[in-house]
Amino acid sequence: MEIKNLSKRYNGIPALTNISLSVKAGEIHGIVGANGSGKSTLLNILSGSPLIRETGGYHGEISFAGNRVNLKNCAEAIRMGIGMVHQEFALLPDLTIAENIKLSREHTHKFTDRLFGPKYSFIDRKRNDESAARILQKLRLHLDVDVKIINLSTNTRQFVEIARVIDRTDLKLLLLDEPTAVLSRDDGLNLIAVFREMAQNGLGILFISHRLEEMQQICDRVTVFRDGAIVSSYEQGEISIKNLARDMIGHTVHKATAPKREIKARPAISFQQFSVKMPGEEINGLDLTVFEGEILGLTSLSGHGKLALGYGVMGMYPTGGEVIYENKKIDRMDAKANILNGIYVLPDDRQALGILPEHSLADNIIFTGNQIKNLFSINFGRPFSGFIDRKKANAHVHQLVRNFEIKCASLKQKSKELSGGNQQKVCIARALTLNPKLLIVAEPTRGIDISAKEKILQMLLDINRTNHTTIVIASSELDELKRVCDRIAVMVDGKIFKILLPDASETEFGLALAGEEGTKNEEF
Amino acid sequence: MKNFSIKPPQVIILIFLIVLIGLAYVLQMDLIVLFNESLIKLVMNGVLVLSLIPMLNAGAGMNFGLPVGITGGLVGLCIAVNFRLTGFSGFFMSLLLSVPICGMLGWLYGLILNRVKGREEIAGTFIGFSVIPLMNYFWTLAPFQNRQMLYPIGGQGLRPKISLEPYFYNVLDQFCLIKIGGIEIPLGLLAFYGLICLFLYLFFRSKVGRAIIATGENEAFSKLSGIDIAGIRLIAVILSTILAGIGICVYSQSYGFIQLYDEPLSMYFPAISAVLIGGSTGRRTYIFEAVLGAYLLQTIYLLTVPIANQILIPEVTEILRTLITYSIILYALLYRDKRGIVH
Amino acid sequence: MRLRQRAEQLFNIEHIVPVVFLFLSFFAWQVSGLTGTFVFNQVLTRFIRDGILVLSLIIPVVAGMGLNFAIIVGAMSAQAALLFVISCQVAGLGGILSVIFLSISLSVVLGFAIGHVLNRVKGKEMIVTIIIGFLANSVYQLVFLAGFGTIIPVANKEIILSRGIGVRNAVDLSMYRNTIDKFWLLKIEGLEIPLFMILVVLLFGGMIYYLLHTRFGREVKAAGSGSEKAEVAGINVNLLRIKVIILSMVLAALGQLVYLQNIGMFDVYTAHMNADIFSCAALLAGGASIKSAKIRHALIGIFLFHTLFIVSPQAGQNLFHNAALGEYFRSFVAYGTIAFALIINVKRENM
Repeated sequence: MEIKNLSKRYNGIPALTNISLSVKAGEIHGIVGANGSGKSTLLNILSGSPLIRETGGYHGEISFAGNRVNLKNCAEAIRMGIGMVHQEFALLPDLTIAENIKLSREHTHKFTDRLFGPKYSFIDRKRNDESAARILQKLRLHLDVDVKIINLSTNTRQFVEIARVIDRTDLKLLLLDEPTAVLSRDDGLNLIAVFREMAQNGLGILFISHRLEEMQQICDRVTVFRDGAIVSSYEQGEISIKNLARDMIGHTVHKATAPKREIKARPAISFQQFSVKMPGEEINGLDLTVFEGEILGLTSLSGHGKLALGYGVMGMYPTGGEVIYENKKIDRMDAKANILNGIYVLPDDRQALGILPEHSLADNIIFTGNQIKNLFSINFGRPFSGFIDRKKANAHVHQLVRNFEIKCASLKQKSKELSGGNQQKVCIARALTLNPKLLIVAEPTRGIDISAKEKILQMLLDINRTNHTTIVIASSELDELKRVCDRIAVMVDGKIFKILLPDASETEFGLALAGEEGTKNEEF
Repeated sequence: MKNFSIKPPQVIILIFLIVLIGLAYVLQMDLIVLFNESLIKLVMNGVLVLSLIPMLNAGAGMNFGLPVGITGGLVGLCIAVNFRLTGFSGFFMSLLLSVPICGMLGWLYGLILNRVKGREEIAGTFIGFSVIPLMNYFWTLAPFQNRQMLYPIGGQGLRPKISLEPYFYNVLDQFCLIKIGGIEIPLGLLAFYGLICLFLYLFFRSKVGRAIIATGENEAFSKLSGIDIAGIRLIAVILSTILAGIGICVYSQSYGFIQLYDEPLSMYFPAISAVLIGGSTGRRTYIFEAVLGAYLLQTIYLLTVPIANQILIPEVTEILRTLITYSIILYALLYRDKRGIVH
Repeated sequence: MRLRQRAEQLFNIEHIVPVVFLFLSFFAWQVSGLTGTFVFNQVLTRFIRDGILVLSLIIPVVAGMGLNFAIIVGAMSAQAALLFVISCQVAGLGGILSVIFLSISLSVVLGFAIGHVLNRVKGKEMIVTIIIGFLANSVYQLVFLAGFGTIIPVANKEIILSRGIGVRNAVDLSMYRNTIDKFWLLKIEGLEIPLFMILVVLLFGGMIYYLLHTRFGREVKAAGSGSEKAEVAGINVNLLRIKVIILSMVLAALGQLVYLQNIGMFDVYTAHMNADIFSCAALLAGGASIKSAKIRHALIGIFLFHTLFIVSPQAGQNLFHNAALGEYFRSFVAYGTIAFALIINVKRENM
């Protein structure tokens, strides 16, 4: 497999630029990179995901086994001998283990094969079960293959997913997207041994993982991605965890916008063994104390739980553990009660949760304040309670629009017509209307152009400094967090892994994100 | 009313309407009489059409469970007739009775719909279908005493068609009827309709109303803003059901008969297609759209009858009506998501 | 914990619905005072009439498309084919074969179109198929009530209304009546068992069972379990769904033909009415849900549902001295079963 000058854009935003790399038969090629570095995009292209075609295809050349290919859909990629193990499982929950492993490669009865062709031939269940069990044994797993996937643990599912791919006899290239992410260390090592063995039998493997230690152990070559481009590449022997960590984060010069402060105040909110069951972003036993008046950054690789905190507090997902806010225990994560108590959450997914797209900008800003705190309302008594006092509301909105420089045609413009940056400003304006004591913001600068980013960070700083609002920013933009935060907590697997100061080195952050213990006094 | 734009269904309907009016003119029908009747038809069906709005705005989709509200209203009507109440007292008594009955039915219906979020339409359809036979039990077994309501001989229970002639037939239609030349304007009827429109308009300006609209537009947003989604949806469903009950009372007093048993089934598809003709996309719907849609659809219905009788085969009228109705609903279902919220 | 699990297993939907039906029909049968032989013969007739229609629902359910109310369109295409052939006065075996050929081709074309439509509205298939059914009914009526004799010339004047336009309400099928019903008719003390037809229904059941256990069937099951994930596994889900709908429609058309030839009289405008609702209710009565359906659900369901169906008017008569109440009861059971299945299923999904 040979890739030359591969590029891909999503709506004009480059995700991959001029990637060239190769995977030889019998080689394990590792790829590391932080979130949004383009690893997943690469895999999507190689596995023929329909997403790529729908968003306009890709540029560049891919040749496979010497021939130039153009991957249009998954079925084609599969036919060519490319197999992929997905990070989010591609297993069908209502089918049994055996059915999943053997899907579209079922053993069928010879007689009906001849009668109706292989597609409409009767399936030989016994042989399928045996063959599925054999594959699982290769992975050192002994399971009843008649169990439905829905009843399995994530750990086992990962193995079944892998079994499905390696069952294929025509497999030439295996794409692994963090196959060990959900596994325990022992299981992960076990699996790696299997991959090694397969590579020795002539299979090419493209291996993506955040576990740098694993990379060092098994890869013949490692390439580091950052912002959609290749940063560096190491041959086996030169791979060192620290180099990888440094290259992954990169050296970015930043001006410290926020002067360093020592916060020694009372705790504003503290979480004890807090857990949130948000699919794909689970928090599991988090212990964290946020002090009054500080800005706390919360970062992690995607899927490790940073986004779930706000949603958990607002009761969007089932939660467990204890939360103590202003010395009182919060019994139930109820959005209304928490907003009344001065907590407000701005979501990461603005389109889905952050705005009312068909409502005007003014309505968006005053909505929550009006509904929950009865701001800007005139009362005629029930049932016609709470008509809006337009004059008061408009004055307020006008003030905010001017302060935040929200670009809009009028206050009545629909919020869906605003740019992403202005939508985010509207969200912050809505939060400010509520005058919260604690604000939890998720990915405040995602999908926003540079100038608006600066403004939004400045807004958050201003709110913190003038209103003494405690702010928690969950973001994967480490650079930005370092500029505004007083402390930065790094999460791994839904827990706080380490709390670092903003002036900690890039390597330290890189190691912490990957869940590797680093020693503080080693500097590069 | 802002962003009201003409979409394919409206174009087809408008062309159809113009052709029909042209035909009516060619066939020398009395257009003034038709116009007079169209006003009555508007209100007669218009309240039922309006009743769809709260659920549409709450994001619960088209209310295919409209028979729930309709049967509630019918119970109110039957009780009023049972006590031989006439004139306005009869009509308002039936409204007064319908409201609590529909409120209760709506509450139950809403609780069920909250459990089937995302599939309200199919569930509503079958809840509506099952309410009909259930209510048939009621019509058959309930101890009504007014002889004029019961089967004349032998049979048990209420008649399928109870005449309102001796009670409150046309009581609203005739109230404040103004005649200018040949044109008759049923001012009382229109005022009643206007009052309901005004009520809805004010309701959606109130805090609860705005919460309903926000919930329909973006449920996750509302939830994050601390709004009790289940409660808000329940209110919308109850309101829809109550309005449907009032709608059937208005309909019956115009029509002159209380139609029981399987009759409610034939009423709700036209109502739904009317609101779609008016420009609703199956989501947020403005009152103006409901009024316009009701007027357009009813006028078409009105025109097709005499025209079809003159030039076509009589049965074709009814078939054409249903054809139009279902095509419009199907169109809306197919294109809804594409025309909905665009990110 | 263990106890709860066992209780859950005992009371899960697959068992509880058939048990309730069994109980209800037994009770209604007792009240009705009808003889066992009569009920049994009737149920057997219904089993033959409706069997294939009910079976035609299974594959769409497995494909995750819910109850396919559009089988009524398949039924109508069979009726349309029949009317066309009768109007051309093709009798005997040739007639039967051309009806079969025509109805299959019609239902394939319509199935293809409906399949495309349903691919646009994934997740809302059921409400759309219901509306499609209503719409198709209007078109059907328009064609045969207004089109026949005006635009479409009809050779056979017998089936046309006296005014020269439109087909009569009832068309006699004496030329095809009971051609295959009387094969291998087994008589045991009043019990009439048309063995051949039972075998035909079971054969269709076997065919569907076979299909579901081929690679094609696995793909259908995969698409039903998770459409995007199936796509990733290399299955063309959209095409598959179209195939599923076509298959369902063809089966429904054949089922309707069996139904009509069994009755022997053809009510042009009403024979297909409620074919969808009653078939769905029967399938659900057998313990299926809108997410999973097996052959045995269909076969058991027909027996349970139709037993209740046959005895309830008489039971109503005996209990309340009003046969109508029994009829209301059975329509309530039909609609209520579907409503119940919809409500219960979504609830389980949310968990």
